[in-house]
Amino acid sequence: MTLLALEDVVVRYGQAVAVDGVSLAVGSGERVALIGPNGAGKTSVLNAACGVIRPAAGRVEIDGRVLTHATPAAVVRRGISQVPEGRHVFATLPVEANLLLGAYGRVFRLEIVSSTLRYLRSKRDVREQLERVYELLPNLRELRERPAGRTSGGEQQMVAIGRALMARPRLLAIDELSLGLAPVLVQALAEFLVRLNEEEGVAILLVDQSAALAFSLCERAYVLETGRVVLDGASRDLEGRSEVRSAYLGRGPDDPA
Amino acid sequence: MTTFFQFVVVGISTGSVFAIVGMSLVLVYRATGIVNFAQGVFAVLAGLLTYSFVQHMPLALAAVLATLVTALVATLVAVVAVGFRGRTTHLASLIITVGIAIFAEAVLLAAFGEVPRSYPAISDRAWDVGGVLIQPQYAVLALVALAAALLLTLFLRRTIVGQALVAAADSPRAAELIGLNLRSIAVIAFAVAGALTAVGGVLLAPTVPVSYSSGLTITINGFAAAVFGGLVSIRLALLGGFALGVLQQLVVGYVDSQYSLIIALLVMLVLIGWRSRGELAV
Repeated sequence: MTLLALEDVVVRYGQAVAVDGVSLAVGSGERVALIGPNGAGKTSVLNAACGVIRPAAGRVEIDGRVLTHATPAAVVRRGISQVPEGRHVFATLPVEANLLLGAYGRVFRLEIVSSTLRYLRSKRDVREQLERVYELLPNLRELRERPAGRTSGGEQQMVAIGRALMARPRLLAIDELSLGLAPVLVQALAEFLVRLNEEEGVAILLVDQSAALAFSLCERAYVLETGRVVLDGASRDLEGRSEVRSAYLGRGPDDPA
Repeated sequence: MTTFFQFVVVGISTGSVFAIVGMSLVLVYRATGIVNFAQGVFAVLAGLLTYSFVQHMPLALAAVLATLVTALVATLVAVVAVGFRGRTTHLASLIITVGIAIFAEAVLLAAFGEVPRSYPAISDRAWDVGGVLIQPQYAVLALVALAAALLLTLFLRRTIVGQALVAAADSPRAAELIGLNLRSIAVIAFAVAGALTAVGGVLLAPTVPVSYSSGLTITINGFAAAVFGGLVSIRLALLGGFALGVLQQLVVGYVDSQYSLIIALLVMLVLIGWRSRGELAV
């Protein structure tokens, strides 16, 4: 069953075309990667899917419902959460407040009074979810009191992921998981995401510069170049293709995989 | 010595208003990244509205009504300043608030005339403490400033709404991604800050009559108090307000009253220069 579908999505910034008719789909419980060089439009595709930017043309569907011009809040409520590039934690707030706000966003609407009432009503629910996140990412429990800005890069990535999980997403869209992190940390986070996917059934849409990571983590991948999907298919197949190997895996066509 | 303490007492009372406006500016800045140059207008509006309402109703009711109306006006200012989608850049928003402040002066002049207005204080008696006269109004102002600092700090640290405001300023992008609506965040911040400044204005008018043009001076003094805390610290804005108020009264008392605003500007400039140097070094 298709959870998220983009059809011929076009994103423009002024005259510049960042995304030029991209179609992609993520089924529920799937792990899908979106790879490509810098400036290929990967982040723009994610942002279009998450309601952060309005596509100039095309459609965004979640569970078959058209949400092309939805607000980010509406997308979060429909079960898609994004972990932004560069993590963007709420630096001056403690880790736990960062996490709780992840749940608040899900209930927050324009009407401040009713949204707060809704939050307070669902407080037990939120606490339970907080416990879940602490079980999944035990490091965060120890850091709960510390301002998020004063944690390490890897910890901030965990805070950002935990914050996104607080909204109980069915799809986690991650922009640049590995950026600026030590390989051993990236490996741990990748393993965590696989576990999250297999045990909790959360679908993953991973955007990353590292094709090796994307292929090892995801079953399927799309290759984006200058705003268009140039290749897509099973990671296994893409990995074997010479143009992918030379462009993204840093190996010659004849080197062993 | 008695004169000195008298100046200090009066200084703390006017400083309370600076502190209240300063803390309001801090609240708005922390939530939206905007310096609201129309903040002082809210104090004037609340004072003048109370003056008008008090002709028809008891003072307490007039004060509450004026505060509510001012908070409502503040929400309108928020929507204009941050735009309907909450996407206006901070610099553009700042310039819009300057425009609103100028526009508001004209509207206030047309609506209330140019005569500075005042109305009776809470009590017309004064306590005599060793020769220093303390009006109950002064005490109320200082207490309101202290209470506001305490409540604001608790609000921002302990409540989910307050944390949402801080989050929106920490990272607007992430705030949007978790589903916070930046425009409602701005509206809440402006409304709370507007109400707080309105209370300051309502309490100020009996001691210092306010007119249509008082807004700018109040904004500048409040801004100087806020800058004392780097525009982000409630506690330092409170202290800055008190310090500035006392300093100005000492200048009024021992030098010349026409230098009081200049002193405020000078203190502000020195602090900005000092602070920005620190930031560049980081």
